[in-house]
Amino acid sequence: MLGDARKAQEIFQTTLREAALRAAHGELPKEPFWLFRDARWRCLEASETDLQAEPLDIDERDVVSEAPSQIEQLEPAQLAIWISSAPDPQRTALALFYLDEFDYREILDLAELKLSELSRLLAMGRRQFQAWLDAMLPKTPNV
Amino acid sequence: MNMPRLSRRQRALANCAPITAQRMPDRSMRSAVSRAGDSTEFVNQQSFDRAVAALVHAIPIPPETAEWFSTKDLVSPSKWTWKKTVRNPAVLAIGIALVVIAGVLVFQFIGRLNDFPGSSTARKLLTIAGSTRSVLLDPVSADAGTLSDLFFMKHGLEHYDVPDEFADFRTIGCRVFEDDQSQRIAQIWVAEKRMQFFLFPAERNVKTGAALSFPGWQYVQQEGWVGAVTEHDGVCFMAALPGRERDLAPYIPNTKQ
Repeated sequence: MLGDARKAQEIFQTTLREAALRAAHGELPKEPFWLFRDARWRCLEASETDLQAEPLDIDERDVVSEAPSQIEQLEPAQLAIWISSAPDPQRTALALFYLDEFDYREILDLAELKLSELSRLLAMGRRQFQAWLDAMLPKTPNV
Repeated sequence: MNMPRLSRRQRALANCAPITAQRMPDRSMRSAVSRAGDSTEFVNQQSFDRAVAALVHAIPIPPETAEWFSTKDLVSPSKWTWKKTVRNPAVLAIGIALVVIAGVLVFQFIGRLNDFPGSSTARKLLTIAGSTRSVLLDPVSADAGTLSDLFFMKHGLEHYDVPDEFADFRTIGCRVFEDDQSQRIAQIWVAEKRMQFFLFPAERNVKTGAALSFPGWQYVQQEGWVGAVTEHDGVCFMAALPGRERDLAPYIPNTKQ
């Protein structure tokens, strides 16, 4: 969400501290994803203070079979930065989806999206990421 | 292989198809994934998603943060509450079916509570009572008690006696007929309140052939008719009239015994 380990660490600790305080006062919300929702808003707040990228028309390409071998060449931090630079709610959608901890209904709930919106954001994200991969890395045949 | 024709919703679901098969939360998602199936586009999407997810999991997490997740799942499974269980369509359907079965059993049980030897014949005769017209009977104007001799002399029916309580009722007509089990039935029509009397053989023990007796008067109801049945000397007598038990009760000496 942030592309910055230090900031992520700070938000993680702040979120947990706040949760511990609420638990001590018996004020924990009943809905199951409140902690993640809270953390997401803190991330968005934190990134608002950062330098914002100019909105650009990003190239899009169809996802190709060689994509996995291209992705293997990436450093995890590169992916984190790429996702964190996406505008919200696409950033939230990509982060939650590729974290692979939630099913699509939970993501819709957490990110406050409709199915059509989540679908469009993910499909667009894949195509944009493929275009970025093609620009950054050469394709190697997928065996 | 091209992506098969999918509805807009199925296409949207296929775009959100889970990376790992365990996260198929509902049937619509399973259906969409199954439809998208082996198309090149969908296979590429899944391979792409798996590769990205693998890279996401390779993002280093600071040790002090990682230890929070070392033993626990990120999301605790939602609790299976009674409310959720009851709202499950399968549970709901089974519940309704069980209630219906229980209702039928209770209905049958209550029906059986009033059963006595000969009750099934009595019910059949109540149906006959409702459909009989007086023209079907031989006109006889006499006291009901005197017809015993007629039944014996003309039809050879022994012990087809009208009980004393109903012996003084004036008759309009009578007849003797065989029912579907070849039992000989005597039917008497009286002037009082469209009342009819029936005399029929008592139910018998299959092994010994002895008549199954029961105490006093027993009521049966069928198709808007009510009958009070008593047994004597292997012959059942039933007084029947259209209405309810309370309409017949005044004619029965000691109601139900």
